[in-house]
Parts: sequence; C-alpha cells; structure tokens
Amino acid sequence: MNTTRWHQWTQWKRPTLRGSRNGKSGCICFPVILLNIFRSKVGKVGEGTYAVVYRGRDASTNRQVAIKKIKVGQFKDGLDMSAIREVKYLRELKHQNVIELLDVFSSKTNLNLVLEFLDADLEMIIKDKSVVFLPADIKAWMAMTFRGLEFCHRNWILHRDLKPNNLLIASDGMLKLADFGLARDFSDPGYKMTSQVITRWYRPPELLFGCRYYGTAVDIWSVGCIFAELMLRIPYMAGESDMDQVKTIFRALGTPTEEEWPGHKSLPDYVPVGDFPKHPIRQLFLAATNDAVDLLSKCLIYEPRRRISAKDALSHTYFFALPNPSHPSKLPKCSTVTLKPLDEVDGNVEGAGGLKVKAAQPNRLKRKLTGPDGEAGRSIARKLDFTRQTPGSPSL
Amino acid sequence: MALPTDPPPDKPARQPLYEASTQFKNWRFSPDQLAQTRGALNKAAVGAIQMTFETDEPGSSANVSFLGWEEEVTLVKLYISKIPQLCGHFRFPEEVEATAISYLKRFYLKNTVMDWHPKNVMLTALFLATKTTNHPISLEAYTTNIPRTAPSDVLDLEFLVSQSLNFEFTVWHAHRALWGIVLDVQSLQPPTDSAPIPSYPELYEQAIPHIHASRLTDAEFIYTPSQIALAAVALVEPDLASRWMEAKHVALNSKTALLSLQSTVEAIKAMITSSGSPPDVEAVREVDRRLRICKNPEKVVGSKAYLLKKAEEERKADEKRNKKAAEVQKAISDGDPFGESLGDASSGGLGLVDYDDDDDDD
Repeated sequence: MNTTRWHQWTQWKRPTLRGSRNGKSGCICFPVILLNIFRSKVGKVGEGTYAVVYRGRDASTNRQVAIKKIKVGQFKDGLDMSAIREVKYLRELKHQNVIELLDVFSSKTNLNLVLEFLDADLEMIIKDKSVVFLPADIKAWMAMTFRGLEFCHRNWILHRDLKPNNLLIASDGMLKLADFGLARDFSDPGYKMTSQVITRWYRPPELLFGCRYYGTAVDIWSVGCIFAELMLRIPYMAGESDMDQVKTIFRALGTPTEEEWPGHKSLPDYVPVGDFPKHPIRQLFLAATNDAVDLLSKCLIYEPRRRISAKDALSHTYFFALPNPSHPSKLPKCSTVTLKPLDEVDGNVEGAGGLKVKAAQPNRLKRKLTGPDGEAGRSIARKLDFTRQTPGSPSL
Repeated sequence: MALPTDPPPDKPARQPLYEASTQFKNWRFSPDQLAQTRGALNKAAVGAIQMTFETDEPGSSANVSFLGWEEEVTLVKLYISKIPQLCGHFRFPEEVEATAISYLKRFYLKNTVMDWHPKNVMLTALFLATKTTNHPISLEAYTTNIPRTAPSDVLDLEFLVSQSLNFEFTVWHAHRALWGIVLDVQSLQPPTDSAPIPSYPELYEQAIPHIHASRLTDAEFIYTPSQIALAAVALVEPDLASRWMEAKHVALNSKTALLSLQSTVEAIKAMITSSGSPPDVEAVREVDRRLRICKNPEKVVGSKAYLLKKAEEERKADEKRNKKAAEVQKAISDGDPFGESLGDASSGGLGLVDYDDDDDDD
C-alpha cells in the first residue's frame, strides 16, 4: 500500500493560504480512538496540503473509520468551500454506493470528518496488472457507480469530480462515490456555474469549451470514460492539456458536426481543433458486447441533452443481459503489497503493513493475468492512437 | 397524518427526498417541544451565569434580572429582520437570505443570547450561508461593507455556529416550494364559473412577502416548506389554494388527509398574520439593555471571569502538551519510534490518544 492514493483522496483543489486566526475550541465528544497517532505514523494514512487522513476505530462499535482532519485555521476566509461542500452533501446523502459520513467534530482549528473506512479505490485496481477483470466484474462496478450517481442526481447534486480514484472500494467489494469537495446542487436551469470542474481526462467537451450552464450530463461523461477505462485498463482519453483534451476526444470519437451537437461552436471557449474522422467505437472495444458498446456510446454523446441519464442507464439492456454482474464480494481486489513490487514508482510504502491488514488476506478469487498487458502503463495512454487498435489489448 | 379511516396507502416505492433530509430528521419540532427546548436552555444558562456571578462576588446575582426565553426569542427576531436588509445591501440572492435566517434560528435552539449576542451570530450565519449556498464572497469584502465589524468578529464564531448547526448546512426553503406550487397550479383545470384566472407571475410576487413574514416565525420548525408555501398562496388566492389541495387529494383519495392539510394551512396562515412582523424596537431595546447586565461574564473579553476561564483553559492545554511530550519521550527512549504494538496500546492506558492535537503534524 502506498500513500499516493490517500494523497489523491485528500488532495484539495485550492492552494492553501497561510494566515492566522485565533482558533475556536469546543470539542464534541466522539468515541473514536486513533491508533497511536502521534507516537507513530501507523494511524496516519495520508496527507495532502489540505487535510490529513487518519485511520481510527469507533470505540463503541469497533468499526474502522477514516478521519479526515481538515486544517481550517490557515484559510483567511474561514471554513474552506471544499470542506463545506463535502460536509454539506455527505450529511444529506445516505446510500450504499456513497461514502458514509459518520460524524463531524471540531477540535481547535480543525474540522474532522469521520468517514467510513474504505481500503481501495478503482484506480488501484485498474492499475494492478496482476488482476484480471471479467466482463461481469466491470458490469458490477458500473452498476454500483450508476446507482450511487443516480442517487446523487435524484437529490439534485452534481458530483463534478468522478474518476476511478474517487470510486472507493469497501472490503466487502461495494463501490462508493467519494470526495464531494467539488459537488454542488443544481435546480434551476439557466443558473451559471463554473466550468473549471472535473479532472481533465474525465471532463466532458462542453466544459472544455467553457460552458457555464450544465447539468447531470457532465457526470455521465465521466462515467463513460471510467467505463472505457475499465475495459481498456488505461485511461481512454488522456489529454496533456485542456486544449489537447479536446483534440484527444475528437480523435477518439470524431469531430462533432453541427447536427450531432447543435450550437457547440457558440460556446465561450470554442476553438476548432481540426476535423477528425469518426470510427465506430466498437473498433477499439473488440471484446465488448453490443450492449456494453451501446451504453458506452450513450454516455459519450456530444450533445449533453441527448446523453443518457443515470436513471435510464440503470435500465439499459446491458445490465439485464448475461453475464450477470459479479456479486460485490466476488469482485477482484488489489493484490497485496508484497505481491506488488512496482511500488517504488510511487516511492512511498509507508504504513503499508498497518493498512492493508484486511486486503492482505489471500484472495482466492484473484485471477492471474496471462495476457501481455503488463507494459501498458498510464503513460502509454497519452499516445493512444485511435486509428489503430490499442497496444494494451482490451481485457474484456 | 393518515387516520385509520383512510384506505391503507400504497407503500411508496421510495422515501420522499424531503424525508431523507437532515431538516426533516433533526430540525422539526412541535410548538411544545420548541418551548421546552428554549425554556430548558434558558434555565441552564441562567443557572450557570448566576454561579459565575456568585464565584466572582457572592450575592452579586441577587438583583440581576435575567432574560426569559420569550425575551430571547424577541431579541433574535429583531436580528432575523436585519438579515434581509444586509442581503439587500450586498445583493445576495434569496437563497442566501433564507439560509442565513434558518441558521440564526437553529443556532438559538442550541445556544442562548446571554452567551452569544445575536448581532455577532447573525453576521457569522450570513457569511457562512454565502458559502454553503455557493455564493462566496471574500471575508474582507464582507466586513468592510459592514460598519464596526472586524474579520475576526465573523470568523471567531464560524466554528461555533457550524457546530451548533450540527454541520447540517442544507436547508429546504419555502420560497422554492412556492415556486413549485406556482408552476403546478397552472396545470389545474380552470374553474367552471367565470372566475378570473390569476396571473401566475403576480401570484408569486404577491405570495412571496408572506413567505418572508413566515421567516420571522417558528413555522419552518413546525411545518414543511410546501405547507408554508401553500399557506402563502392561500393568503393571496384562497380559492385557488383550495382547488389545488382538492385536486391533489382526489389523486390520493383521502378525505381525512385533506381536512388535516386544510387545518394545517389555517394554522400557518394565523401564525404568519399574528407573528410575522418584526418586534417592537422599544421592547427589544429594553431586552438588550437588560442583556448587557445579565450576559455571561465568561464571554466578555477582558472581564475577570473571562480571564479566569482563559487561564484555566491555558493550564489544561499545558497539561495535555506536557503529557504528550512525556509520552513521545517515553516512546523514543523505549527505542522504537513507532511505539509499542497496536494491541498493547489499545488495551493499555495509552489507547486514549488525544485526537485534539493540531500542533504535531501540521
């Protein structure tokens, strides 16, 4: 286990502002015992510029929890927007596919979020080349993602930062949407919002063109990218800059025509990036079923209003056709630290022993990869040539 | 609300969104509960402040006339009525205004004005509301536009306010529900007689002042946003409101629910008309004058009790720091920088590690 994942989980979007203010105390008692925080680093599982995540357990139930300690005192405008958003939405959202906020308490100048403890994320699993995905596994992850997302959308909440490492995996295999630091509610159409949201590779074209009026379709695009990534085992459209991202999308899906996406040329930041021909999406996803390809292409429709909704996606034939989705407990898990010698890439294996206690159990269901996929690292994705088949052949 | 005479309602496939909200779960009360909560809070505060007075100088609390909870409510109400003025000044949207008012009211279900003066809490509640509703402005821009207010006045209370709100920042508002009803009544069949059909944009404009008035009352603690909105419509267009209610209940096929809703709407109408206006300024001035004498001296910067309390806190913090340093020292001298194994720690005396530390790893 490396701490990079936690780093990403706790990596908040704003640069920190150093400033001082007198702290407020007044601690709400919460029965959590942190495991040796200050005497060792075992309890500490990750640190970003903004928050530190500790592992602890609830003394009354013995349940493991993650405690995200947000440093508040350093912001000159008080409680930071990301923290407020995360607390605000997680307080309301209770769903099996959304990370559970168990409690919030404050201590001096810190805000502490007590979250359910989740030991892995989808990015770790995608990157772990020793794990093979079956089509049924991908279907299970997609179903859980759509369920969680449909719940958010039903509650008028946009996530705005969906990507594999914000989809956390519980020890029982359940997938949960996490990191609501960029989330916001929406209700009235015609309400201006920022287009600077969603991690680039998962950002829909309308946001890349600076669209300020949008809705649930932005999250659906991200889910489409994640779906493709699960099948390819590498990020599907990995642009190097925002401009390059547009180009990458057009190269993959063909430059949209005015009929396909009416009005896109009038978006604030529209710039023509060239005419790329359209290839049937199936060319790249050779092993995928027709249903899978159909759902994927409905998530990646250029015109946001025609993109499939989370609700409709859940009743798509893909989810009813065979194979049935894997039961969460049967889903592949990350291999253990000892089995994963590539960790030096991330450079940090601190806390490994303490953290992966659970995952270190031998996983009977793990399937060893036999294909020549091992070399397809993330960097290859950037050179993905959409006119040919990919180097890392789809393992679906 | 359904009575036994009703046909058993079909089990709803899903819980209504509103019923999953923290507002529904944690911020609904009966009028009696509200009175009890406020009474108990007030009593506890008076007791504690009396103690402080007596410790400071025995016999000194005898002649102090402490505020009753009704007087506290009146004072808070005055500051609720100031929020719309401030919002007008900043041109904040309605959502900010409504949210700030809810925060202020909720705060005083957990705190008393004798500890925290509503003037300051109001400023913090409004600033917090700008952030929780996605209309953030910089603290500097905020405070420079409010006379005699320093950034610390706002920030110092932000944590306390958030905590009193239980970090439940989402508020469901009656003005949103009103918008929904105004849209929905347009789908009603027009009445058979030749009654004039109301103009809908005007309906909203005429009903919204009643929503504003309802914010000065306890309505939002007792009723749902849509009930309040319906009452506001009923105050403007009673016939339209009853036709809409009936149409909705035809679908439900429930006479008792209709009757119960009608009496709820009447109760809200009465509440809005009777207590939906700002309090008499003279009366509040009198309350505020007495508050100056009976407020908690521990919260008055510079007072004897305040200094005592600070010193006590300082002493405790020192104690904690020393204890922690000693433990670290021990761990190092034990030779293992990671301390003993987890099992020992959690079963032994060291398990209760202070999570209140903000100076170790920042």
